[in-house]
Amino acid sequence: MILGLHPVAFWIAAGIAAALALTPLIFLALDATKKLSPELRTELWIRYKSWLILAPLMVAPLLAGRLVAILAVAVLGAMCYREFARAIGSFRHRAVSGVVVLGGVLITFAIADHWYGFFTALPSLMVSAIVIVALFEDNPKGYIQRVALGTFSYLLFGVCLGHFSYLANDRLGAPIQLAILLCVEMNDIFAYCTGKLLGQRKLAPQTSPKKTVGGALGALILTSALFATLGHLIFAGSALDRPIHLLTLGLLLSLTGQFGDLVMSSIKRDLGTKDMAATIPGHGGLLDRFDSLLFVGPALFHYIQYFRGVGADMPMRIFTWHG
Amino acid sequence: MDEWKYEPARDQHLPPDEQLKSLQREAGLPAFLTQAASRVAIRSYLKLYHRLKIIDRERLPRSAPFVMVANHASHLDALVLAAALPWGLRQRAFPIAAGDVFFHTKAAAFFSTMALNALPMWRKRCGPHALDELRARLIGEPAIYILFPEGTRTRDGRIGRFKPGLGRIVAGADVPVVPCHLDGAFRAFPPGGRFPAPVRLIVRVGVPLNFVEVSDARQGWEEVATRLEAAVSALAADALPTGP
Repeated sequence: MILGLHPVAFWIAAGIAAALALTPLIFLALDATKKLSPELRTELWIRYKSWLILAPLMVAPLLAGRLVAILAVAVLGAMCYREFARAIGSFRHRAVSGVVVLGGVLITFAIADHWYGFFTALPSLMVSAIVIVALFEDNPKGYIQRVALGTFSYLLFGVCLGHFSYLANDRLGAPIQLAILLCVEMNDIFAYCTGKLLGQRKLAPQTSPKKTVGGALGALILTSALFATLGHLIFAGSALDRPIHLLTLGLLLSLTGQFGDLVMSSIKRDLGTKDMAATIPGHGGLLDRFDSLLFVGPALFHYIQYFRGVGADMPMRIFTWHG
Repeated sequence: MDEWKYEPARDQHLPPDEQLKSLQREAGLPAFLTQAASRVAIRSYLKLYHRLKIIDRERLPRSAPFVMVANHASHLDALVLAAALPWGLRQRAFPIAAGDVFFHTKAAAFFSTMALNALPMWRKRCGPHALDELRARLIGEPAIYILFPEGTRTRDGRIGRFKPGLGRIVAGADVPVVPCHLDGAFRAFPPGGRFPAPVRLIVRVGVPLNFVEVSDARQGWEEVATRLEAAVSALAADALPTGP
């Protein structure tokens, strides 16, 4: 333990802090070579300033303990849902929207209570609630769309993101979540950099014209290696501490992360918009930043759950009575 | 199979603090809830503290769009007119408030949005574009506007001249405009007052006017202002105590 934190959690946080502190020096060095165009320079600074606020907001709650981490992910989910619902227009159907938000509150409670049974019951229960509440408008025109969009957004921002949140119930919750967060962000950066260097063939030109096969493969290799290294340190001595498991986890993370990115690109193309919102200067909306996290949660959660278990040795049903 | 229609929030492309000031602002679930709570609180306050009385309420149109205009004496006025609306219509009501007072700071803009559902009118630089935007939203949504054509609160209790800007919103449009008269507000909470006095407030609802035949040009806008000013003044005359 360092400062009361798992060493991996500590070093990831310290590494992110160091990277943020050093970035201005790199900008200054690049500036000295006069290779940066003024536009790119302002663009980089805006992005950097946003990271300066965003990174501590992401990292600090995960270090601050189980409940804070769970609440922070819930707030993130709520903000992502808001952005999504406003971008597609489903927010105007207040009854369905209210059920989606209620479902988010309930799943947050299930996670905070460490009540896996309720956590797994909620997706089907909330889908039922959405289709039923949508009836009360007594307006069949557009019913399928209202119900489908409500269900879709609940599954994305309540259930999928909830799996990432549930990892906080593990004894190693903080280092696992931080490693995932770091690797998901690095996955984007690796894809961007290797794509610039070796990218030739377009990955999905209709969906996301800038992504290349080279970038995707580069990210797959580098992210898997990074996560396997961190995973080895985190899961030392457990059933998961074997190269095959660690590499599979890394591959799953990189794949689901990149697919999450493509899913959001696809949604944006369908809507005909470039950014989901203008919440974060230089990045667009929160969803433009956190899209890749959405499907990493379920994939890694269930892999860890199957081979090692998640939070099995921690107190369960913390707030609810059970006989 | 028909394609699905997505209709993004009209203020979706704006950063959060500009969304609050935008005439295209659309309330989400949180604002919807705080506005509902604030309506209950404001109405109770007006009923209990100011013994609010509404005369000829049945003259109000049954559905949006329409515009309520009145004489302007205090910051309570918009709240009073909104409270005169039946419950089902109240959530469609937007008080048109002075941008330089109600949207001057981020905190003020936040309050004006979450509690009042106000839309800003920038008195010094209110171009025709803003009025066209208001007109489009009034009819398209459809919405209910609460506005005070004098443009400012009376400093002496008398009704001032109605400005023609309102004409740009309603001239040539088939939208009822309801003249209202507010009695007691000047005594209750005049400009410069620090705290409202428990004076009775009375709203008189007039017969709705329609300006669909009026030309949407300078002359028409003036006509709208003149006719509404006359209508509100006539209601004010009713408010005076009659007989010796």
